[in-house]
This record gives sequence, structure tokens and C-alpha cells, in this order.
Amino acid sequence: MMTEHTLKFFEEELSQLKADVVRMGGLAERQVVEAVRAVAERDVAVAEAVVVMDEQLDTLQHEIERCAIRLIALRQPVAHDLRRAVGALKLSLVLERAGDYAKNIAKRALVIGQSDPEIPLTRSVQRMGELVASRLKEALDAYSAGDVKSAKSVWNRDEDIDEHYNSLFRELLTYMMGDPHMITACAHLLFVAKNLERIGDYATSVAEIVQYEIAGEEFADPRPKWSGVEPRPSEASE
Amino acid sequence: MELGQHRYMPVLSFPWRRAAPPLPSEPAPSVEQADSPMFAAVFEAIPDAVLVVRREGTAPAKIVASNVAARETLRIRADEEQLVSVLRHPEVLGSVEDTLNTGEGNELRYDSGGLRPQMLRVWVRSLPMPQTAMIVLRDETEARRVERMRVDFLANASHELRTPLASLSGFIETLQGHAKEDPEARDRFLDIMSSQAKRMSRLIDDLLSLSRIERNEHVPPSGVCDLSLAAREAADGLLPTIAAKTARIELLAPPPGEALALGERDQISQVIQNLLDNAVKYSPDGASLSMRVESDVAFDTDAAGADVAALRDSGGGRLTLLSPERGHENRYVRLRVADHGRGIAREHLPRLTERFYRVPGQKSGEIPGTGLGLAIVKHIVNRHRGALIVESAPGHGTAFSVYFPMHEPEQTSVRGVTKAL
Ligand SMILES: Nc1ncnc2c1ncn2[C@@H]1O[C@H](COP(=O)(O)OP(=O)(O)OP(=O)(O)O)[C@@H](O)[C@H]1O
Ligand SMILES: [Mg+2]
Repeated sequence: MMTEHTLKFFEEELSQLKADVVRMGGLAERQVVEAVRAVAERDVAVAEAVVVMDEQLDTLQHEIERCAIRLIALRQPVAHDLRRAVGALKLSLVLERAGDYAKNIAKRALVIGQSDPEIPLTRSVQRMGELVASRLKEALDAYSAGDVKSAKSVWNRDEDIDEHYNSLFRELLTYMMGDPHMITACAHLLFVAKNLERIGDYATSVAEIVQYEIAGEEFADPRPKWSGVEPRPSEASE
Repeated sequence: MELGQHRYMPVLSFPWRRAAPPLPSEPAPSVEQADSPMFAAVFEAIPDAVLVVRREGTAPAKIVASNVAARETLRIRADEEQLVSVLRHPEVLGSVEDTLNTGEGNELRYDSGGLRPQMLRVWVRSLPMPQTAMIVLRDETEARRVERMRVDFLANASHELRTPLASLSGFIETLQGHAKEDPEARDRFLDIMSSQAKRMSRLIDDLLSLSRIERNEHVPPSGVCDLSLAAREAADGLLPTIAAKTARIELLAPPPGEALALGERDQISQVIQNLLDNAVKYSPDGASLSMRVESDVAFDTDAAGADVAALRDSGGGRLTLLSPERGHENRYVRLRVADHGRGIAREHLPRLTERFYRVPGQKSGEIPGTGLGLAIVKHIVNRHRGALIVESAPGHGTAFSVYFPMHEPEQTSVRGVTKAL
């Protein structure tokens, strides 16, 4: 039986955990925005800053993981409290992955920045990046507000990101076929787009975790959608 | 806990209160006066967002006071909320920590991200209570937006005007040279020149209107617009064009007064007009179009109309070009403009609202246009916190659906619910 004092303490620990996850979300969000900016503006300094940010993200992830596990082990929470702790753990993993992809984008930005001639497609990448970043923002807003409805609305519409990806994919292919000098840079841009698409998937995962944490169940509609932290089987390579 | 129950903090004595020199005519305000309701009211009324945060021990900083502007900008829901839950930008959090640790003030700029990014300037100042700091956020979106717009406008205008201008000079040279004595060539050239000049002036009009709309994008629209009437007017306005193409237009709308949108009539009319203009323009002669207005609908991508699988099978698709933040919380009025024209292939859908984007492969000159119509539509709808969805399949036709937040007349709201379609 927990005394009132431990209860209060426990509640504080949980909200501290949540605060750390939100802080981590802020970092991941920033990383994505800056990585896209690095590509769009061919800015080497920004790209390098993103790579550094990733270390902070990793540190924070370990910290959250440690706290969540300790909290679960020591306090043995049940029901909603357990889901809050597990949710924080899951989210930290998802955000860490999203950050990895942002870092990968930044690294490619360094190469794309050196390409000559300039690829006229960075605007499309930027638009896709903005879309993905805003989706991530909405998902994190939903988490920090504990708002299932907003989470659901993020979860409901990730198709447009796929559409942007497909459209970009075709455009890039056209450029590559038209001018062999562009192939290297375009290939990198293609991976940038792919990484953005995956970050978009992570935004969807964040929304799913919010639903799990609050309602204790997954979204009802059947949906042939990858969800979770592990990579999709078909994309495990690269 | 005790402090947090107040939205403002009457017990805080701000440094400037003490520093205020006594006015000659009146006695200096006593501490009691400084903590008076007046100061609380002043704090609330400051147009910049002001937050007071405090840290206890190693716990993260909490918000202990906020004014109206702060609660609105940051959507602060409860008192005693953790700072990070409303403001998670790493650099801002970093400077708050920094100020709490060192007592030194900080200043930075920050971009909120999202679909309607706000540029904020942030000041962090240490207050003379332990572990307490004040954060002031000023919205500079407007200033920077105007700046960017001017740059964009100049770049776009000069880029787009170059081509018609070059062709005009070419014709002038020819007219001055060997075509001087050839009346037939001269007439033909003058015709082309006049249409180029018209094109240039339309381009400038469009760019100016886009730039005006963009500038106001952050100002919420005021007013109420009857979507049924606006749709009818737009259809009437296009009658000459429609008659010339012998197209048929079908308008399905609730009676006037039943589909009311929150927004500016002129801008909403422009949206309808641009969509209808495209529907007519990109349809073959004699094709029929339809416009449908509905009231009191939810924003739901699936309810927009066509069957996505079928669209995909014919190389098309459906795409949300713009969706409102937290759209599920609102009711909307919807307008859907559908045609049986050439349609648009799936891969072009994401770029439709880009400035100057025209689907490639349509021989230029075949159908005149500058590619600004849908960009204008998007900006207007975004300003109205609405949504825009396109559904299209090559060879079958295109439908654009726009959603505007619904205006609910106070007395008739019950009627509004019962007549939902
Ligand atoms: N109803 C439609 N059917 C087929 N294609 C369309 C339709 N509406 C828009 N499009 C495509 O989208 C492009 C962009 O449309 P938009 O209205 O922005 O520009 P525009 O019509 O070319 O020029 P304008 O600035 O004069 O409107 C068009 O060039 C056309 O290729
Ligand atoms: Mg048009």
C-alpha cells in the first residue's frame, strides 16, 4: 500500500518522466527542421549542428530509459500509471530513431551541398520536410496535452506524406535519367525523402503511443500500417 | 500550490516597483498599492506573452504566473504547469536554465514550426526571488513575413516577367526592322504583343493579390459569408465563359442563410472563382460541371466523395493539400467543385498549390494561365483555418473540396443540426 506521501512522490516522478520525453521531443523536432534546412539552404554549419544535437538526444534517451525502468521496477505501477511509464519508454525509443534519421539527412546534406549543378528540387524536399515536421509537432502537442483526439487526427492522415514521397521519387528519377552528372546528388536526395517519410511514420507511432497511454488500447480501425519501433522488414537494409 | 492558483502573482514585487522614483506631486506607491489589483490588471493586459517560471530543487521549471497573451499563444491549460509542456524548443529551455543558474538575462529568436509558423523573440530575465525568472515572448511573425514577402515578390515578378518582356522586345525590334513595310505581319505581331501585355498585367495583378493575401494570413478573418450565395454569384460571373464553351453547370446548395462560413466574403468568393475557373478551363467543350455546397459537416478526408481505390486505378488519387490544426474539433461548411475534364495524374497532386506550378505536358499556349490560382486558394483557405482536398483521375475529371469553419447563428443552431446532409 502506498502512503499518500509516496503517491505524491510517484506522481512527480511520472510527470518528470513525461517532461523529459517532451523535452526530447523538442530536440527531435528541432533536429528534423534544421536537417531539412541544411538540405534546402546547402548550409554545412547547420548540418554539422544537427549531428551534434543527436548526441544530446541519445543521452536523454538513455536517461529516460533508465528512469522508466527504475520506476517500473521499484514502484510496480499498474493500469494507467504503468502505461504512462511504458509509454514514456516507447516514445523515447521512437524519438531517438527519428533523430537518427534526421542525423542521416544532415550527413547527406553535406554531400548534396557539394553537388554541382544544383538540383532544382530542394523546394519539393523542403515542402515534404515541413509537412513531416508539422506532423511530428502535432503528435508531440497531443502527447504533452494528453489529447487523444488530436493524436487520432495525426494518425488518420499520413497518406499525404506518402504522396509527396512518391511524387518526389518520380521527379528525381526524371532528373537522374536526364543528366548523369546529377545521379549522385539525386540519389542522396532520394534517401533524404525516404528518411523524411520514415520520420513521418514515427510521428504516427507517437500518436499511437498517446492513444495506448491514455485509452489503453490501439486505434480501432484496421490499418495495414507498420507501427512500432522496429524497422519494416523490407527496409531493414540500407 | 498556493501561488499557482492565481493566474497572476500579486505577491511578486517586481524590481521596477521599488526603483520607481517618487513623483513630485504624489506620494510614491506603497508596497500595498504595488500589489494592488491594478498591477495584476496591468500584468494581464501586456500585449506580449509574459510568463514567470520557478524551479524548486532539481525539478523542472514550472510556470507560476502567466498573462492572457501567454496563455493564448502557448495554450497554457492549467496553473502550475511545467514549462516544457508548453514550450519545448531546446534553445529556449536552455536559456531559461542558463538564466536560473547564472542570474544573467538572455535573448533569442525562435520559430514555432508547424503549418503556420510563428517567429517569436524571447527575453529571459532573472527575478529577485530565488530560482525565479521571467520570460517575455514577442510575436515578430508579421514583421519578418512582410520582409520575406517583399523579397519573394520581387524575385517572382522579375522572373516571370522576363519571358513575356523578352518576347515583346523581340517583336518591337522586328517591327522596327524588316516587318516595317509588311502590314499583314504587323497586324499579327501587334495582336501577339497585345496578348503578351495582357498576360503581363494579369500576372502582376495575381502576384499583388497573392502578396496581399499572404501578408494577412496571420490575421484571423472576420465576418460571415453565405456560401450558397457566393457559389451562385461565382457561377453567374462565369456565365459568359461557360456559355462560350456550352458547358453545363449544376449548383446544389442549401437555401440562403443555411451554409454560413466564418470568413471574408471577398476572399471566399475568390476561392470559388479560382476553382470554378479551373474547372471550366480544363474541361472540354460541352462538359458539365457541378458545384455542391453542404453545411455542418466534419472535416473528414474520407467523406470528401470519390472512391480512392478507383481513382488510383486510373492513375489519379486523392490528396489533402491543406488540413486545419485540430480540425476534428470544428464543424465546417464545404464546397465541392467537380468537373469531367482532363484530370490530373497522381504524381502532380502534391505540387498543385505551389506558385507558378502548372502540370507539365500541357502545351503552353494551349490553355493560358500563370499557375497562381491554386496558390491563392491555398493561402486564403489557410488564413480561414480551413481545408483543401483534391481528387482527380486523368481522363475522368477533378474535384476540389474546400472546408471553411462554420458560423452558427445563435438562435438557429438547432435547425442547423437537423438539416445536416
Ligand atoms: N480542374 C482542373 N482540371 C485539370 N487540371 C487542373 C484543374 N485545376 C488545376 N489544374 C492544374 O493545376 C495547375 C495549377 O492551377 P492554377 O489554377 O494554380 O493555375 P493556372 O490555372 O494554370 O493559372 P491561373 O493562375 O491563371 O489560375 C494548372 O495549370 C492545371 O495544370
Ligand atoms: Mg487557375
